[in-house]
Amino acid sequence: MNAAVDLVRAEWTKLLSTKVFFWLLLVAALMGGGFTALFTALAGAQNGLPPVGSPEFTEVVAGVPAQVAVIPLVLGIIGMTQEYRHRTATPTFLVTPRRGRVVVAKLLAYAVAGVAVAAVVVAVTVAVASGYGSARGAAPDWTADTLGTLGRSGLALVVFAVIGVGVGALVRNQVGAVVGSLVYLFVVESIIASIPATADAYRFLPGGALAAMTGTGGGGGIDLLTAWQGGLLLLGYGLVAAVLGTVLAVRRDVV
Amino acid sequence: MEVRGLTKTFGSVTAVDSLSFTVEPGQVTGFLGPNGAGKTTTLRMALGLITPDRGTTTIGGTPYAALRQPARHVGAVLETAFHPGRSGRDHLRVYCRAAGLPASRADEVLARVGLTPAARRKAGNYSLGMRQRLGLATALLGDPRVLVLDEPANGLDPEGIQWLRGFLRHLAHDEGRTVLISSHLLSEVEQTADRVVIVGAGKLVREGSLDELRRESAGTVTVRTPQADALAAAVAGPGVAVTTAGPGALQVSGLTTDEIGHRAFVAGVELHELSARTSGLEEVYFRLTAGAEQYAATSGSAS
Ligand SMILES: Nc1ncnc2c1ncn2[C@@H]1O[C@H](COP(=O)(O)OP(=O)(O)OP(=O)(O)O)[C@@H](O)[C@H]1O
Ligand SMILES: [Mg+2]
Repeated sequence: MNAAVDLVRAEWTKLLSTKVFFWLLLVAALMGGGFTALFTALAGAQNGLPPVGSPEFTEVVAGVPAQVAVIPLVLGIIGMTQEYRHRTATPTFLVTPRRGRVVVAKLLAYAVAGVAVAAVVVAVTVAVASGYGSARGAAPDWTADTLGTLGRSGLALVVFAVIGVGVGALVRNQVGAVVGSLVYLFVVESIIASIPATADAYRFLPGGALAAMTGTGGGGGIDLLTAWQGGLLLLGYGLVAAVLGTVLAVRRDVV
Repeated sequence: MEVRGLTKTFGSVTAVDSLSFTVEPGQVTGFLGPNGAGKTTTLRMALGLITPDRGTTTIGGTPYAALRQPARHVGAVLETAFHPGRSGRDHLRVYCRAAGLPASRADEVLARVGLTPAARRKAGNYSLGMRQRLGLATALLGDPRVLVLDEPANGLDPEGIQWLRGFLRHLAHDEGRTVLISSHLLSEVEQTADRVVIVGAGKLVREGSLDELRRESAGTVTVRTPQADALAAAVAGPGVAVTTAGPGALQVSGLTTDEIGHRAFVAGVELHELSARTSGLEEVYFRLTAGAEQYAATSGSAS
């Protein structure tokens, strides 16, 4: 038990002793704040958005944190693949020869790092929506429903950090893993969603599951899973990638 | 440390071939072989980083990966691996945490390798010598009894090599640690090693003490005398070999020039020449590994 805690703390020491985490946190905060400001600026029927102060607009704001999911995803990928990129896999696996333990420690450590990202992004989103919203007429009026969406939106960031570690374990090449997953999320999935014959499968894919978590972005008549199904499915993707990665890639020779 | 029948093939290359040897506790063992002989592959297999096709390595009877706290038993420098954006001190603190050691160990080992002044600088800006020192510091974190070093002198300047030799001698001879140090040059470990394990093309070529190897390198003595038969009789004895090398010339091995001169004088044999041809350790090593290089340059030129 103690050894497990030590390993998770070692991962945090790694995370906090380079600048990657701070930069990604900054980018996530800027993206969250920027999207919120953009939505607030454009709120109103003439732009196809609900007016500020309406429950519908609050729902839109609550979905903003989930839009920066790529940031914790990239954070998790870098967290795992840096071991190979900078060849620190050698000292890491010398200290912990049972490599599965390293992967588990990273999953836990990056889930917590994902909580930190989520907290910052949610805080910035709410702050911008309140400040700028008031200036434009009304601050969001948070209800149990919209707070629930906001919470799941933040939770999506935690799950994507876990997915990042899993993807990184499977694809040891850092550039390959980052580019591959971005291309997948932004190109492959939107194509799948746009073809009627395959659109039905979209809800079971990571993008569809993410949309289900916040109840947004489904549009186009695609049935999404429920929020909790979507969240569990996403977590499942992350864990399956981590298990496959541990068995197929992480155990391979470190030369 | 016991290596038994290690074998590893990469595609069509057999990097290590049924290799067995023993590293004696409390001694410095030089692990020698030309480039591509399989030294790095062997050490990585011994430390659980590469899975061998066949064979086992045990350290004090236990395979590395099964050691409960490996960093407290074995320290290894295989390459200078660290995140370039992390300071040397933070690098060490990461592995302190992972190994369950107090973070203060990081500062202790930094001081031991003389890296304290650069502790808070990014490791990516370190010079080659500083990187080697950081690698060594990482290996020393758990105060291990066994140290495994893969070509630790690579890229060090003469002063750095001097420092490293002294440091390893101290770790081994004063602190009684077991040290296994690989090199492709015998001269690099000659002053530190007690024993050598020599490999060529993945196979064991020689295992034994450096003194044994030195005796082998004593070489031959050429003697010219008009009384060849009388001299041959005078020097004959156990461990002495005499061969004829032309009219009135003999080659004697197993005796020094002093010993031969003395016996000739006692026997009243007239000598015209008495010259030693020592082959030297390096030459014995060269002869042992000759033809085992994987990428030997072709000699001569085509012009
Ligand atoms: N990952 C790998 N893939 C393919 N071949 C490899 C790999 N690692 C080592 N080899 C081959 O195995 C052989 C032994 O390599 P190794 O690095 O163990 O030699 P070495 O004795 O450490 O050499 P050097 O003195 O140059 O460091 C070489 O022919 C090398 O090309
Ligand atoms: Mg090598």
